[in-house]
Amino acid sequence: MVPPEYYLLLSSGLFCIGLFGILTRRNALYFLMSVELMLNAANINLVAFSLYWGNLTGQTFALFAIALAAAEVAVGIGIILALYRNFGDVDVMAAATMRW
Amino acid sequence: MVTAFDYVPAIVLLPFVSFVVALFVGKNMPKKGAYGGIAATAGSLLLSIWVLLSVRGGGAHQETYWTWAQGVGSQPFRLEFGALIDPLSALMLVIVTLIATLVHVFSLGYMNDEGERDLPRYYAGLGLFTASMLGFVIADNLLMAFMFFELVGLCSFLLIGFHFREPGPPSAAKKAFLVTRFGDYFFLVGVVAVFATFGTAAFAGAESFPALAEGALNGNVDVWTPGGLDTMTWFTVVGLLVLGGVVGKSAQFPLHTWLPDAMEGPTPVSALIHAATMVAAGVYLVARMYGFYVLTPTTMGVIALVGGFTALFAGTMGLVKEELKQVLAYSTISQYGYMMLGLGAGGYVAAVFHLTTHAFFKALLFLGAGSVIIAMHHNENMWDMGGLKDEMPVTYWTFLAGSLALAGIFPFAGFWSKDEILYEALIHGGSEPLLFAGYAMGLLAVPVTAFYTFRMVFLTFHGNARSEIARNPEPVRWNVKGPLSVLGVLAAVTGVINMVPVQKVLGIEGIDYLHLWLDNHWGGIEGLSSHHYAEIGPYSSTYPFGTEVATVLAGAAISLGLALAGLGLAWKLYNVAEPVEHTAKLGGAKELLYNNYYQDEFQVWLANRTRGLSGSADTFDQGVVDGVVNGVSSVSLLSGDRIKRIQTGVVGNYALLLTLSLTALLVVFALIGGWF
Repeated sequence: MVPPEYYLLLSSGLFCIGLFGILTRRNALYFLMSVELMLNAANINLVAFSLYWGNLTGQTFALFAIALAAAEVAVGIGIILALYRNFGDVDVMAAATMRW
Repeated sequence: MVTAFDYVPAIVLLPFVSFVVALFVGKNMPKKGAYGGIAATAGSLLLSIWVLLSVRGGGAHQETYWTWAQGVGSQPFRLEFGALIDPLSALMLVIVTLIATLVHVFSLGYMNDEGERDLPRYYAGLGLFTASMLGFVIADNLLMAFMFFELVGLCSFLLIGFHFREPGPPSAAKKAFLVTRFGDYFFLVGVVAVFATFGTAAFAGAESFPALAEGALNGNVDVWTPGGLDTMTWFTVVGLLVLGGVVGKSAQFPLHTWLPDAMEGPTPVSALIHAATMVAAGVYLVARMYGFYVLTPTTMGVIALVGGFTALFAGTMGLVKEELKQVLAYSTISQYGYMMLGLGAGGYVAAVFHLTTHAFFKALLFLGAGSVIIAMHHNENMWDMGGLKDEMPVTYWTFLAGSLALAGIFPFAGFWSKDEILYEALIHGGSEPLLFAGYAMGLLAVPVTAFYTFRMVFLTFHGNARSEIARNPEPVRWNVKGPLSVLGVLAAVTGVINMVPVQKVLGIEGIDYLHLWLDNHWGGIEGLSSHHYAEIGPYSSTYPFGTEVATVLAGAAISLGLALAGLGLAWKLYNVAEPVEHTAKLGGAKELLYNNYYQDEFQVWLANRTRGLSGSADTFDQGVVDGVVNGVSSVSLLSGDRIKRIQTGVVGNYALLLTLSLTALLVVFALIGGWF
C-alpha cells in the first residue's frame, strides 16, 4: 500500500501549482483552471484519508466536491463571459473598477 | 378577580394617551384636544376614586411592572418601574386627577373661548404634565420617582413658556427649568448615594431603604458608607442631598425664585403647577420617604427651619405686590413652607392634610384669578380692578371661600390644616431650638398671610371700579363657574376630614379620618404608617399650656387671633371705596419687598462670580471630554482613509492577500501550538 505521505505530497504539489497559477496569470480562464487544480488537491486528500480510515464518507464528500466544482465552472464561465462583454478582454487586471 | 389595582397603570396612561392624541391629531378635533383631555383626566379620576375606595376597603398594593436593568453579583441592583398604592398615594392620586380634570374644563373657558392659538400644544402639555405627576405619585422607588420628577420639570418648562412669541415666558420657563435643575442635581447625587448605600431604592417593604436605614441605625444591618463614616452622619448627608430636589421643586428658600416668574404661563397651568403637580411633588417626595427622614433629627430640623423661614419670608414679599397672580405665587411659596414645617416637625399627617386642603383652595384661587383675568381682558394689575363682586358673584363668593381658607379663618379648610401644623411644631418644639424657630416664623406668617390675602380680595372685588374695563367686565361662562363652584365647596368643607382639635376638646372619638387613614387603620403597607413614623421619630411631646386640651385651644386661639388681626388690618386699610397704597409707610422696607429682597439680583451676582468655575468646566468639557470623542473619530477617519487603499479592485491582489493572511495565520498557530 502506498504510504499516505505520498498522497499528501501530491496534493500539496497540486495545490501549490494552482495557487501559483492564480497569483501569476492574468487570463481569467487560467484562473478558473487553477481553482480546479486546488479543489482537486483537496479531493485527493479526502480520498486518501478515506482509504486509510476505512470509511467511505471521505469519498462521498469528494464526489460532492466534484459536483460543486462543475457548478463553480458554470458560474465562473458565466462571469468570464460577462467580463469579456464589458471589458472586451478576459484579463482579470482590466476589471478593476470596483475599488475605493 | 379584577380589582382596582389592576387599573393603576391606566391612571397614568390615560392622560398620556390624551397627550399623544392632542399632539398628533389635536388640530382636527373639536375644541383642539380639550375634550380628549377632559375625558382622559376624568377617567383617571374615576379610577383613582375606585383605588381610594379599595384602599378604604383594606387593600394596598405594590407591584413591579418592568425591571429595565439588572446588575450581576450576589446582591445585584435592580432598576425597576413599579407602583406603590398605599393610603398616601391613593389620596394624592385623587387630588391630582381632580385638579387636573377641573383645570382642563376651566381651560375651555380660559384658552378656547379667548381664541388662543396653538391649543393642541397646550392640551398636549397638560396631558403629559398630568401623566408625569401621576407616574411620580405611584412610583415605588426613588429612581422612578426621580425620572418622573424630571418629566414634571420638563412639562412645566413647556407650559410656562407656552406663549413663546412674547419675550417674558420663554425666559421665565428657562429660569424655572434651570433653578429646579440645580436642586435636582443634588437629588440625583442623593439617588446614587441611596443605591450605593443600600443597594435598593424601594420605598416600601422590609428590603426598602427606609427600613434598611432604620436597621442600620439599630445596628442590625450593615450598610456601605463612604470612608467608614458614621451611619447617622451619612444618612443626614443623603437626606439633605435628596432634599435639594425638594427645595427646588417646592420652591423653598433659596431656590424659590423661579416660581413668581412662572406666572408668565397661562393661568390654568399656574393652578395645576401650584396645587397639584410641580410644586406639590417636592413635599410629596418628603412624605413618601418620610420613614427615612424621621431617622435623622438634623435633617428634620433643617426641613422645619427652611419651611418656617420660607413661610414668613415669602409671605412678606406678597404684601406689596400689585398683580393678582404675583400675590398668589408668593402665597404658594409660603404655604409650601408650612407643609415643610409640618413635615420637619414630625407632623406627617398635618403636612399631608395641608397638602390636600391647599391643593383645593389654591387651585380655586388661581382659577378665580383666571376668571378675573378673563373679565379684565388680561389686565392683572389689582389697582385697575375694584368693585368686581357685584359683576361676577360666583367668582367672588368662591374666591372668598378660597381666601378664607388660605388665611386660615375658622371653619374653612385651611384653618384646620394650618392649625394642626402649628400645633405639631409647638408641642414638639419645646426642646428643639431649630423647630421652635420654625414654629415662631410660621406663627408670624399667619397674620401676614391673612393680610395679603384680604388686601388682594378687597382690592379686586370691593370698593369702586377703578378702570373702564372693571366697570364692564367680560362675562364668564359655565366652564369657568363650574370648576370654581366645585372647588369653592371643597375649600370650605375639606376640614371635616381631619377635625383633630374638635376630637381632643370635645372627646368625640373617630372623627380624625385622615389620621386613621394614614395610620393604616383601614389598609396600607407595613412600615408606612404615621404611627410607625412617630415611633421612630426623634421628637417627644410637651404641652406648654399645661394639658393637651389647653394647648390645642390656646394654639388655635393664637393662630386664629393673629389671622383675624391681619384680616382686620387689611379690612381697615383697603376695604374702602377708594383704597390707596399704604406702602409708603413701610419706608425703606418697601423697596426691599418690591424687589423680593434682591434675591434675583443676588443669584445673578452669584452666577457672575462663579463664571470662572463654569468657564473652566466648559473648557474641560469642550477640550478634554469632547477632545477624546473627536480624537477617536478622527483617528478612525484617517486610518480608514489610508487602509481603504488595499481595496484595489484587482482580483489577483485579493488572492495574494488571502494567501498571505492564511500563511500568517498558520505560522501564528504553529508558533502558539509549539509545532516547531
